[in-house]
Amino acid sequence: MTGRTPKLETRTKILIMMICGCLVILLDSPSSLFACFVLSLLLVTSSFPSIRQIRLLLIFLFFTTWGLVYSQGIFYNAYPRTVLITLVPAEFPLIGEWTGGIRLYHEGMFHGIIQSLRFNTTLVIGCYIVWTTQPRDLLLALGQLRVPGALAFMVTSALHFIPVIAGEASTVIRSQRLRGFRFLQINLISTVKGVISSFRPILAGNIRHATNLGESVESRGFSPENATQRTSLQSSQMRSWDYCLLGMLVVCLISVIGLKLIYFCYANGIYYASWLRGLYTFTREVL
Amino acid sequence: MVPIQIENLFFTYPSRETPTLNGINADILPGDFLLLTGPTGCGKTTLLRTINGLIPYSSSGKLTGSVRLNGKTISTQALTTTCQQVSLLFQNPDDQLFCTHVEDEIAYGLENIGFPSDKIRQRIILALDQVGLPGFESRRISELSGGEKQRIALAALCAMQPQVLLLDEPTSHLDPRATRDILNIVKKLNAEHGITVVLATHQVKQVAALCNRVWLIHKGQICLDLPKAEAFRDISHFHRLGVQVPEQNNSQIITATKHATKTPNPDSFLTVRDLKYQYPNSDNLAVNGITCDITREEIISIMGANGSGKTTLLHLIAGLLKPTSGDVTIDGKPAKRLKLHQLAGKIGIVFQNPDLLLQAKTVKNEIAFGPKNLKMKSQSLIDRVDETVAQFNLEDFTEDSPYSLSCGQRQRVAVASTFSLHPDVFLLDEPTTGQDEQHLHKMMDQLCEQVLQENKTLIFATHNTELTHKYANRVLLLNDGEVYYDGLPTNIPIDQCLLQSVI
Repeated sequence: MTGRTPKLETRTKILIMMICGCLVILLDSPSSLFACFVLSLLLVTSSFPSIRQIRLLLIFLFFTTWGLVYSQGIFYNAYPRTVLITLVPAEFPLIGEWTGGIRLYHEGMFHGIIQSLRFNTTLVIGCYIVWTTQPRDLLLALGQLRVPGALAFMVTSALHFIPVIAGEASTVIRSQRLRGFRFLQINLISTVKGVISSFRPILAGNIRHATNLGESVESRGFSPENATQRTSLQSSQMRSWDYCLLGMLVVCLISVIGLKLIYFCYANGIYYASWLRGLYTFTREVL
Repeated sequence: MVPIQIENLFFTYPSRETPTLNGINADILPGDFLLLTGPTGCGKTTLLRTINGLIPYSSSGKLTGSVRLNGKTISTQALTTTCQQVSLLFQNPDDQLFCTHVEDEIAYGLENIGFPSDKIRQRIILALDQVGLPGFESRRISELSGGEKQRIALAALCAMQPQVLLLDEPTSHLDPRATRDILNIVKKLNAEHGITVVLATHQVKQVAALCNRVWLIHKGQICLDLPKAEAFRDISHFHRLGVQVPEQNNSQIITATKHATKTPNPDSFLTVRDLKYQYPNSDNLAVNGITCDITREEIISIMGANGSGKTTLLHLIAGLLKPTSGDVTIDGKPAKRLKLHQLAGKIGIVFQNPDLLLQAKTVKNEIAFGPKNLKMKSQSLIDRVDETVAQFNLEDFTEDSPYSLSCGQRQRVAVASTFSLHPDVFLLDEPTTGQDEQHLHKMMDQLCEQVLQENKTLIFATHNTELTHKYANRVLLLNDGEVYYDGLPTNIPIDQCLLQSVI
């Protein structure tokens, strides 16, 4: 899957994730956030994902976007706000009277789109890392980035168990249905109880797998305290395209921080220079 | 010199009142091949973990006494030091393999203790030779069979060049051929490299021929410690504890068949027609055109090597997987047109890992879960639960959490909670995993009795030919997803390796 394109080193992938995470927090404009999102999609496309992965990614994107836009649209409480649709009028018995009416706000939905672009960009890069990185490489890279050994192991083993957990969760749910349980039923309390109880075997299985794996690696000498003595069979080298990509992203990040600071000083009356007017406009309109 | 000296060893887990290891005193000599056996929950795994240093290093609890390796107390030395002297192979290879490629997995332990990469490469080649998998360095672990995975896990330990190799039920997830391969490798390591071996298992028959000494453990104590030649002279201790013994007459097993004599009902109840299934991302069919008719009161054993399609076939019959092509018909109705909850009461399945079924807070609630979902009225529900509890001898545990029970008890609860729906077809996937003979036969006796009394059908998947001979009245022998043999169990050789060699 990854052999057809220049393979990024694992540290590069992690740093891309971190830099992009900072960038999407700093950016406010939908167009620049959309550009980040498109770039993250290009990154994941470069790994030639399978149909199954594409389908999974689309499901993730749909639900996060829908959830954020819809929830922000309803719960937006800043002003000004424009009502698009009234879902429950204020005079509607009980719910309407209790909540003062439920409405969908234009500004809230717009805010939801911005939030979903932020969230989806990091989600797509996260999927790219998970789909293109071996747990062992991730552990090594986190160690090289000076992440504490115990934390690095927790992150790596969590990724290691994703397919196992997914498989077991599916088995548990199907076995409950085979014992007559219906997850979608009118009695919501029963549904919630059933969902909660299905977590029990999944959680117990996770604990058992994690304990066994933890004991297996500990009995082969793994210890966070000995991380510095650890050697590595595979040497992991960052190549020129890793440096180029990271360099560009760092320049972008520094530029955005710089421009935002300049604009902040201008907007708060701390510093103004007429020759910076172009930058003020660019920051306000584009960033 | 004595490599391992165990003195007055007691260990109590935090949640328990009685000690799991209850005063063990013994020595393990250099070059010993020690068979460690005993009923489920007797303390075998805990003892291995204590010798390996995982207790007390990664497990809280009260430990007194000592385990000394070459004169040094293991509990006081760092685990990174102990791991270079004592290695532990776990039961399930999937739970212990951490990397995605073979050479990374074998290198992992050596990297942890700071070996230079050139020496690691030498050790990888050597370890792969020792387990009979030379040239496997660049293979992906996910592409290996269960037996190969366990050999890679063993290679990862061999690479550490330990003095003592501990193995905890290393073959319980493997088919007979893979079991034989693993045991031969372990014997070779013991005989040719002088590695002391301590192997804990219920499968005494396979291991007894290889060992030179036997420990029988019961309630955390060694109740028998003898050289192999003397250990099995008086087998009453083993029988009393329900532990397998090596010498067992094949004809006795066949004549002991008490359920196989019933004539099956000729009316077909479950039909499987040209059933095919291919897993996503796989090029091969896991089940390839299976056709069979199953009647009520049949007890069918599905046999075959790892990967032959046993579990997939059970899951297809249960409706947990949708067939790629072909049909399963239950009582004249195509199963694929029914939703899973509509199959409740018609089909029940207990997985190889019964824990995946256990979701209630108490055993009683677990058994009531299915009938409650089918809207059984309160008095009938109480009666059904009481009846099932009695049928499976669970009276003492009704208010206990299923997770607080032993492995054998948990399996009984899983079986009872599935049986409480009185399904027409009861599916049981590899009931032998982690079970001692006593618990296994007790559970199978109860299940077969209930199935026949209530005019139901039982289908179980197993590697165990003795279980098949004792309980089944029909065998489906699978090979590469196809039915290789469909007929009476008496035509199946008892010797499991012989059985695999004819496929």
